[in-house]
Amino acid sequence: MSKILLEVKNLSMHYDTLEGNVEAVKNVSFNVNSGESFGLVGESGCGKTSVAMTLLQLQPENSIITEGSIKLDGKELVGLSENDLRKVRWDSISIVFQGAMNAWNPVIKIGEQIREAMREHYPQNSKQENINKINELFRMVGLDESISERFPHELSGGMKQRAVIALALSCDPKIIIADEPTTALDVVIQDQILNEIKKVQNLLGLSLIYISHDIAVIAEMTDKIAVMYAGSIVEMGPTKNVFTSPKHSYTRALLDSTPSIKGEKKKLRSLDGEPPSLIDKIDGCSFAPRCPDREISCNPTEHMSLIEIEPDHYVDVCSQGKI
Amino acid sequence: MLVYTIKRFFEMIIVFFLFLIISYLLFNAIPGNAFSSLLLNPLLPPETYQRTIETFGLDKPLFERIQLYIINFFKGDFGYSYIYYPRTPIELIAERLPRTLMLFSIVNVIAFYTGFLVGKILAWRRGSKSETWITIGSVFSYTVFYPWFALMMLWFFGYKMGWFPLGKFLVPEKWYDSPYSSDEIFYTLILFTTVTSVFLFLIFIFTRNIESLQSRRNSRFVGLIILFIISAIYWSNGEASLQRFYAADIAYHMILPTFTVTLVAFAGTALLTRTTMMEVLKDDYILTARAKGLSQKRIRDRHAARTALLPVVTSFIFTIITIIDGSVLTESIFSWPGMGQLILEAVTREDIPLAMASFSFIGILALIAHFIADISYAFLDPRIRVKVEN
Ligand SMILES: Nc1ncnc2c1ncn2[C@@H]1O[C@H](COP(=O)(O)OP(=O)(O)O)[C@@H](O)[C@H]1O
Ligand SMILES: [Mg+2]
Repeated sequence: MSKILLEVKNLSMHYDTLEGNVEAVKNVSFNVNSGESFGLVGESGCGKTSVAMTLLQLQPENSIITEGSIKLDGKELVGLSENDLRKVRWDSISIVFQGAMNAWNPVIKIGEQIREAMREHYPQNSKQENINKINELFRMVGLDESISERFPHELSGGMKQRAVIALALSCDPKIIIADEPTTALDVVIQDQILNEIKKVQNLLGLSLIYISHDIAVIAEMTDKIAVMYAGSIVEMGPTKNVFTSPKHSYTRALLDSTPSIKGEKKKLRSLDGEPPSLIDKIDGCSFAPRCPDREISCNPTEHMSLIEIEPDHYVDVCSQGKI
Repeated sequence: MLVYTIKRFFEMIIVFFLFLIISYLLFNAIPGNAFSSLLLNPLLPPETYQRTIETFGLDKPLFERIQLYIINFFKGDFGYSYIYYPRTPIELIAERLPRTLMLFSIVNVIAFYTGFLVGKILAWRRGSKSETWITIGSVFSYTVFYPWFALMMLWFFGYKMGWFPLGKFLVPEKWYDSPYSSDEIFYTLILFTTVTSVFLFLIFIFTRNIESLQSRRNSRFVGLIILFIISAIYWSNGEASLQRFYAADIAYHMILPTFTVTLVAFAGTALLTRTTMMEVLKDDYILTARAKGLSQKRIRDRHAARTALLPVVTSFIFTIITIIDGSVLTESIFSWPGMGQLILEAVTREDIPLAMASFSFIGILALIAHFIADISYAFLDPRIRVKVEN
């Protein structure tokens, strides 16, 4: 039994906007064990980035966490002061952002931007120690040492992204969040970056939270997966189980709309309709209006909660009728 | 970088020639004959009259006159001033230019620095009460009618409170038995300021590579203390200890004009910094910096402000030219006998040689300022540096 590294419990967060509250994260709970890779998948706008930001307590100013707790290595992060958070960030948990192309400050050299983080968390290190470590990390992600002395605009997208991975590893975190790290890259580079992340994770025994809208990528990358829809987790379980026997209609729809990983010819079924607006509170199943398997009996108005239908495989109440 | 510098330099030379020609044509277009005023001065002997006509080729066609003017410019020959005969424009400028240069370079450095600092803090404290009030204050100072404001300052601090002298750049009584001329003291002051700034700059450059932030801060502090001690030693020994008294008199006269112009000039920089920095704060790398666990101050200064600096410097380059009209106003109001007053006098009294010489020198100054600003901009933005090198 590996131990639980990150424990998220009943996390709810909304954005305060002029049009009303955007309920971006609703009652989300999950655990990530040390060394495990956890996937978060869902259509864009379903709240994946919001979850990621909340984990680092880096959510925008207009966001409010209404309830829930985030425990990293037993330490509660929600409500921690900015100064204490600074010690946790990058030291225990680091992130590769969605817009990682713009993650670098354009006027500071790459190496300096990495060393800056190391100075913060390893103040006792000498400059040479830091440089050696960066060189080692660069080798690991397949970059040349000379990149340290370059400015961001001198690198290609793929190189920048590799450097971001090196940056994320620079302070020996226990867990890395990768939020759609390959979205802006072309397909060949995407594959390389995915392999790089996978390799590094195994090599260093890190935990990984991999976020993507692409369920096929998640399948390759993760041990455990959570499917998100409109701010909630609708299904969660070991990746293999969820792929072989998806329980929630949304998971099935997602799998059906993706070309099969094993290469079987299958007719692609696209999902009709739009995800619901997160501004209005939705009672009961938020997927019901788009659900291809919808029955008259299924639109429970009671609050949704996840039910364990087989060991470690959870699915939300709505789909129970069709199990 | 070198190629860029050379290219810029040649551009500067070309612009300079254009400037000379156009300014000559403008003076040429002034209605009336410059000689009528020349003849009105009874001090002017006939040889000078003759020589002036020869120097400027006044009996020749326009094209030859321009050629002559440019050649004379490089010989440093502007003939004689009509109103200050027998002094030459060059002598007059050599006396006045340092005064203007001193006042306005100090004002500009202070105004830019405070403007940038205030703008940075405004953007950082967005939404707070202090932000609102300081922004309103800055907008006021940005839009205020400058001569009125300067007179108010003079009236309040000079007359009402009596803290500062009413105009002039020295108290004549103190200088009656002075072994030094005011120019000598001025040169000493300028030299001192320049050397101090260079040392300050060197301190920052040399401490840049210290890895630990703590010891970097400490060594900068020690550097400043040492610089301070050295300047204290300088002013209390040898000739400088005698000049100290007179230098202090000049410095005292500089305070009010510096303060006034700074108050008006900082606001533009502050407001622009505020806007650009608010944009920069939305950028992804600010989020990265926060995620890395950097301190607020470091994120603000090293990441947000450093990038926001670029457009602010650009706009500052364009305002350098306003030093000229600014100096005319400021020097008149504070009776500061510098280039601004000289130009005003030369133009209103139709002292054409003096006016042309003054304009050319100010033109050179503006061009050099642009040149320096261009180079430092390329130095600040690595993206430009690379574009330039390829
Ligand atoms: N700062 C914000 N203010 C208001 N609404 C936001 C903000 N950030 C994101 N949202 C909204 O929250 C929802 C979830 O966004 P996000 O977490 O970025 O989704 P994902 O990463 O899955 O695409 C979206 O509807 C989005 O429009
Ligand atoms: Mg996202």
